[in-house]
Amino acid sequence: MSDSLTPPNQPLPTVASQRQTQDAVSLMSEQGRGSAMYPRPSQDIPDQVYADDGSIKPEWQYVLDSLHNLGPKELQERQEKARRILRDDGVTYNIYDEGLAANSHWELDLVPAIIGSDEWAKIESGLLERAELFNLMLRDFYGPRELLKQHALPAEALFGHGGFLRACQGIQVPGEHELILHSVDMIRDQQGTMCVLSDRTQAPSGAGYVLENRTVMSRVFPSIFRDSHVHRLASFFQRLRQKLISLSPSDSQARVVVLTPGAHNETYFEHSYISNYLGFPLVQSSDLVVRNGFVWMKSLDGLGRVDVILRRIDDVFCDPVELRSDSHLGIPGLLDVIRSGRVIMANPLGSGVLENPILLKYLPAISKQLLGREPRLASVTTYWAGDADDLEYICANLHRLIIKPIYRGTSMSSFWGGDLRPESLADWAVKIRQKPHQYVAQERVEKSHIPTMTATGLEPRPAILRTFAVATDNSYIVMPGGLTRVGLGVGQQLISMQAGCPSKDTWVTATEPERVNDDATTEAGQAELEALLVSLPSRVVENLFWLGRYAERAEASLRILRTVFMLINGEQPISAASQRVLLRAITEITDTQPGFLSASDEQLANPETELLHIINDGTRSGSIKSTLNALLFCADESKELLSSDTIRVINDIRDALDNLEVSLAGGLSSAPEEALDPLVIPLMALSGLMQESMVRGVGWHFMDMGRRVERAVQIMKTVTTLITPEVDKAESDVVLHAMLRSMEVLITYRRQSRARAGLAFGLELVMLDPTNPRSLIFQFEQLQHHFAVLRRGDTNFTALAEEDRVLLEVITSLKLSRIAQLVEVSDGSRQNLALLLTQLNKLLSEFSNLVSDKYFDHRIDPQQLVTTFWGE
Amino acid sequence: MKYKVIHTTQYQYAESVSHCFNLANLVPRNTERQRCISSRIMVSPLPTTTKQRTDYFGNHSYHFEIQTAHTELSITAESLIDMQSSPAALKLDLGMSYGDALQYLKLSDSVDVMNAKEFLLNSPMVKISDELADYARPSFALDRPLYDCVAELTSRIFNDFQYTPGFTTIATPLTEVLAHKRGVCQDFAHLEVGCLRAMGIPAKYVSGYMETLPPPGQEKLVGADATHAWVSYFSPKEGWIEFDPTNDLRANNQHIVTAEGRDYYDVTPVKGVIFGGGKDPILSVSVDVARIP
Repeated sequence: MSDSLTPPNQPLPTVASQRQTQDAVSLMSEQGRGSAMYPRPSQDIPDQVYADDGSIKPEWQYVLDSLHNLGPKELQERQEKARRILRDDGVTYNIYDEGLAANSHWELDLVPAIIGSDEWAKIESGLLERAELFNLMLRDFYGPRELLKQHALPAEALFGHGGFLRACQGIQVPGEHELILHSVDMIRDQQGTMCVLSDRTQAPSGAGYVLENRTVMSRVFPSIFRDSHVHRLASFFQRLRQKLISLSPSDSQARVVVLTPGAHNETYFEHSYISNYLGFPLVQSSDLVVRNGFVWMKSLDGLGRVDVILRRIDDVFCDPVELRSDSHLGIPGLLDVIRSGRVIMANPLGSGVLENPILLKYLPAISKQLLGREPRLASVTTYWAGDADDLEYICANLHRLIIKPIYRGTSMSSFWGGDLRPESLADWAVKIRQKPHQYVAQERVEKSHIPTMTATGLEPRPAILRTFAVATDNSYIVMPGGLTRVGLGVGQQLISMQAGCPSKDTWVTATEPERVNDDATTEAGQAELEALLVSLPSRVVENLFWLGRYAERAEASLRILRTVFMLINGEQPISAASQRVLLRAITEITDTQPGFLSASDEQLANPETELLHIINDGTRSGSIKSTLNALLFCADESKELLSSDTIRVINDIRDALDNLEVSLAGGLSSAPEEALDPLVIPLMALSGLMQESMVRGVGWHFMDMGRRVERAVQIMKTVTTLITPEVDKAESDVVLHAMLRSMEVLITYRRQSRARAGLAFGLELVMLDPTNPRSLIFQFEQLQHHFAVLRRGDTNFTALAEEDRVLLEVITSLKLSRIAQLVEVSDGSRQNLALLLTQLNKLLSEFSNLVSDKYFDHRIDPQQLVTTFWGE
Repeated sequence: MKYKVIHTTQYQYAESVSHCFNLANLVPRNTERQRCISSRIMVSPLPTTTKQRTDYFGNHSYHFEIQTAHTELSITAESLIDMQSSPAALKLDLGMSYGDALQYLKLSDSVDVMNAKEFLLNSPMVKISDELADYARPSFALDRPLYDCVAELTSRIFNDFQYTPGFTTIATPLTEVLAHKRGVCQDFAHLEVGCLRAMGIPAKYVSGYMETLPPPGQEKLVGADATHAWVSYFSPKEGWIEFDPTNDLRANNQHIVTAEGRDYYDVTPVKGVIFGGGKDPILSVSVDVARIP
């Protein structure tokens, strides 16, 4: 085991190289320097841990020593723990290629990236200056364009960039800054100097992952973290929150929302995480509308005005009227509301123009023009093919340069010339000469490496850091540290989340504990926060309603399956006729017709294949798998309202579903219940959590309503299929037993049935007993109760609302019915019972439609009047 | 010369439209040749909000939002325009040569040239290509006056291309227009814009109207006029000069400008987003250009 501690330095470990490394370790230990945990990498690998004289830099010493003291086994366990926390928190980064449903787990490497606080102070001041500079550029590009007039930047460099949105000319953001958020991707070069690779100025992602990484690290390494005096992140988010609120153009309380493209976006986890952390509702574009020159959020209590939007959608997609007309993520009419200053967007639309890499070439000249000096932070050396000299240089040196399109919106991604064969390099030279304005080339900078955990211990990996700055009243503040990502192998050039590269927490460490300045104003926002949470987008409420319905539907399906398995495999054999009734009930309850309804006698005698399908066939509507997939979708869409425990249980369901094939591999006959247990248990936990750990807000009421509606539907289906048809006496016991067991009232029935008679009493328990939480009447009374609570304080209406009328009619019909009449048989069936159930069913579906019409959004998809081209 | 222009755009929808957002470029801008004396826009059903503003290119944009359910949308723009007499009869054929123009564009640091460079690059609907350059090249020689080059290019487009309504839509790419040598005024304007840019000359797309005169002895039909499109190119020191490839003309006082931009995308007369409406809305446009005594 201890062998795994001594990492080979080469990307492909061989026995020989391992042996060498072990020698090297013992040598260094003798000399009393270096780390047994992370020996100095070979000279050709730039490294951040060791100084030139071979000693470990002080900021790394403590962490490496501490990790070493933990020992490999303990470290393994901590890594496991970290993985568990990330999984329980549902931290994902969706990778596009794997299809819509794929959730890829977030990878966190346990060795932090460390920056000493003295060095950080320098980096920070460079970042502050850069944010100011980019802010001034943004203002100039959409204003006077002095930079062009003064020839600090060639006109084509601006006019030819896809991010220069002419419709955004003259948009004003209140306050000192137009650019609210500024992110930078930077690396350390071979000399250890920080060098900027690119700027992110649209909707920079990553800050939420930083927060989550930090949470995990402080839980996994509480003492190492504490003793390292790591600079805190919280004030960055407080300032972000304050800034967003301060942007509001409205005199009344600011309503800020976070706009996400939706649950399928790669960084959706972060959108819901940040919106929760900041206390702002998470909305999708369909939750917002423009009316009368303002932006509104559709919520249960009608339209609520929106003042500030923190966007996580690229600017060109934000308004199909004036920007990309083919966008489905936009809010029609939004840009003109922004133009009139009635809603503020952060970052402002059009800010993508700052991501133009040509700017890196001209940044020194621009900075001289705007700030009177060259920028402190260096950028990677950049050539623009639109410049005649650069074009010749690029074409002559293609094989050693990185080629990038100037606009990210194009389908082309950047590449390193060294990876291409001479023929394709020649092709590229022709391509670049055809559209020189559209390409830049950059020198390849060797990234400095930091220690990273691998299966064989710590190894050096190239690292890239994303930093985050947010505008404050008169300056910017920078998040201490940022999001570090590391390559999968030594020297790897491309480091991206899409490629599955792991992330690291970034520690800016001080020699002394940080003085925490508790900003008095920070907690003042708490009260308004709670007020904001009251109104939810109606889409979220609808998803909670359906979350309740699907959870109940899955439970009911599983219960009837278990009940039937138990009876079929029971001690007492049941008749073929009984088996038929039971299997048909499964088909009806799971809604998987025709199924057993049209099955032959042989199929009915050997139902296993069909039963497996009902459980496991995700393509079949009504199957357990498809119901649970729908449940997971609703949970994703309403994630920000679920408690962390609930999210954990939802993840358990997801895992159980992923493992369903394995659990069912042995077939159903041997131990059907065990096979279903992994699904049943988290579903029970979910239903418990919904009752016990959710705030009784609007969201909970609708989720529980969903449950009640679905349970009522399931009770009626069960009674209809099992009880309505007349059966022989022997079978009658079996079906009654099945009904009572699947409704979980068998014990109550048995305890009392000495005094009361069979079917009539069973039916009363299931339908009319208001003390039984699984009875039909109980569901309707609960629905009544929900509406009473939701309308409390609303004095506008004294008359009964439509949905109340329907509920009243249902409950009255139930109460007025007589059990003796319901169990009467004529012409082979219980017609009174059937009649009552048909009537109730009709009322219930009417009720469901009323709720949907009144509370949920019925969006009509917009379409374009004129189709025009867009893009390259 | 004064003109009154009435331009009506109508959409008929198969299903009800509950709500719409539109953006119209229908109010003529002022240019060196024309002054818009008055203008009004009437929309039915009545919009909830309207707003007029000057856009990035100096055109008048009219925004409106309708919240009344409707199956028919009608937008009428009525404008009174004063056209100056024909542009000063400059001896342009003695003007700057094509070669000098290219040099000047490259070396000058005047703000005019800087602004003109916006119209030298690819735009949403016009992409510079080798095919366009190959087509334009025979008309361009470095020692030839630029004006002559453009005039000849205009004539060649007029002669080589057949005016065929219905053959193209606004979404038909230039490569197809070039391949089939057919199209309407928008296609020819896009084509000439693309040719000029391919030759290194900044060029704008101009949308507007042209007065049509009835055959002698016949009365002019109301609504028979049409929206029109032509080009404007930048000649250093001389400014912007307009040519009409559909009619093989230098634009004159019968060419009334509505808006200018990089291409149709920037000056679309009416665009927007509707909620509902069903499939295939039916569009009808009528234009009437009348001289006012």
